[in-house]
Amino acid sequence: MVITPVHYIVVPLIAAFAIPLLSKLHKELFRIVPGIVMFYNIIISFVLMKEVNEVGYISEIIAGWEAPWGINLMITPFSGFLASLISVLGFLIWLYQYRFKKVIDVDEIKSYGILQMMMITGAIGIIITGDIFNLFVFMEIVAITAVSLTSFYRGRDGAEAGFKYLLIGGFASALILLAILILYTQVGTLNMAEIAEKMHTVPIGIKSTILILFIVGFGIEAEMFPLNGWAPDAYSQAPGPTSAAFAGIVVKAGIYGLIRVIYTLFDIEGAFDFLIIAGLVTMIIAEFSAVKQKNLKRMLAYSSIGQMGLVLIAFGIGTKTAVFAALFLMFNHAIIKSLLFMTGSILMYNSKDKTISSIHGIAKNLPFVSIMFAIGAFAIVGLPPFSGFWSKLYVLTAAADKEMIMLIIAILGVSIVEIVYYFRVVSKLYFATDKEHLDIFKPSNNSLIAMGILTITIIVIGLYPDLITGYLHNAADILLDRSSYIDFVLKANVPIQ
Amino acid sequence: MQEEFNEIFLKYHDIITIGVYGTAIGLILIGLYAVLLKKNLVKIVIGLTIIDAGIHLLFIGIGYIKGGTAPIFSPGYEDAAKRMVDPIPQALVLTAIVIGFAVTAVALSLVIRLYKHHHTAKIDQIKYLKW
Repeated sequence: MVITPVHYIVVPLIAAFAIPLLSKLHKELFRIVPGIVMFYNIIISFVLMKEVNEVGYISEIIAGWEAPWGINLMITPFSGFLASLISVLGFLIWLYQYRFKKVIDVDEIKSYGILQMMMITGAIGIIITGDIFNLFVFMEIVAITAVSLTSFYRGRDGAEAGFKYLLIGGFASALILLAILILYTQVGTLNMAEIAEKMHTVPIGIKSTILILFIVGFGIEAEMFPLNGWAPDAYSQAPGPTSAAFAGIVVKAGIYGLIRVIYTLFDIEGAFDFLIIAGLVTMIIAEFSAVKQKNLKRMLAYSSIGQMGLVLIAFGIGTKTAVFAALFLMFNHAIIKSLLFMTGSILMYNSKDKTISSIHGIAKNLPFVSIMFAIGAFAIVGLPPFSGFWSKLYVLTAAADKEMIMLIIAILGVSIVEIVYYFRVVSKLYFATDKEHLDIFKPSNNSLIAMGILTITIIVIGLYPDLITGYLHNAADILLDRSSYIDFVLKANVPIQ
Repeated sequence: MQEEFNEIFLKYHDIITIGVYGTAIGLILIGLYAVLLKKNLVKIVIGLTIIDAGIHLLFIGIGYIKGGTAPIFSPGYEDAAKRMVDPIPQALVLTAIVIGFAVTAVALSLVIRLYKHHHTAKIDQIKYLKW
């Protein structure tokens, strides 16, 4: 059997339909099947990444219609990297939630696995598709599943958070649809490569209208200020594994949409400056809001928004080093923030009112979880032995190359704010002794393994960043090279030598 | 009868085009008004579907050409290629309608959940989570 990109989409879809039937055979199957699918995703990623390293691009034509007319799936080093990252994280999140006690209590556990799987499929679909309308469809799959997962718990205020998310998401999708419509009237095609090729014929006024509609639409999914009102509520109300999936997977897909549109479809001067400003505002407001949060998951959500602001800044600088730094940041944010949400939600299960003050001194009851949370916190603020240090350093280097002194000052200043609220939580975990903890909820072994893998990755990448930097440089080069992408899709579909 | 209708249609084509675009934009604005200013959750969901309807109408509107036919080659329509209506916007609208249906279904189920939980459908009385 030959593994092609379409397996990313077809296999989970078949499994999603099969799970309700299979669970009639054996009641464990609805929990195991998503895991098998996620593991198969990792295998697909490995095979495709190996192939991409040899040939440069993979384009698969769906249903026999050649690229400008039909839908094509594209694997480039950039999109392949993100798809692999999402696949691996998806598997780890499944491993973490397998036999997750709080989730098992709920009757709808069957739908939980399916929804989680479809959300990951939608995110991968956004990343690998080469057709702008197809991208919209996958984005809606992500939005619908994410809303359902946000409002998964009946007892809590999930429905409110979910409704908020759905309103903003519905608005975003309407704007993206409008942008696609205007784009289609101008260039008469939906294939991203052909749009990019014909973009220079579009008048500048219409071009900027389309770009603004796209930025607002994708900015909502990418947590860009002021469109991120859904994020803190959704993160704090969703089940723990889902929060991890939001930070690691959904946001990455939103950023990818934004970047693909700005870098590949458009070539407007000034869009990059806009990204820097949007990122800066997002980062500063989010980090300062994080300081005053009492709920740990809300705090992590604001921190996640802040990190996305930093990613936007790095993409906005726009040089090769900066794009490389942005990719490194995305990688780091995905693994570190997922770890923080995984450990954080286990800590939160031991707290009645979900506040930070109720888990003071819990480190002696939950030593492993606490140490992994601490490592995650150190990594995300950018302490040297961990992976977060390198990505922040590369962003600062890229800013320094362009002599953006104010930007460097802002990033470093915000890092201090970050240190304040993360270290406050870590120190309370270890050194506050004003609370006694009885009846501790312990994580299961598979959760510990999933968190352990992420922790080890953080430390290993921190010590040996060269393991992935070479690869990320390649991905950044490819992302900045519009013309080879266009040529590959439209001309002949032969591998580039 | 049919030809008579076509004649009338061609005569007023420009007015009809403006009417379609105007209706579409009007629908989008009405939907926006409902989403932003109405307090009732169900009315907000209706507003969302009205925005969608407006965009769908716009899609169909741009795909139409004066005196066009269906994009099918059949006996008696050998010259159809010159005056076919663009089928892609229509295909897109079909997809978008299905997606909009799913979103509306999820939204209404959330509204029911909120109503059961808070015993009200007024959005300004449901504000446990701050914006």
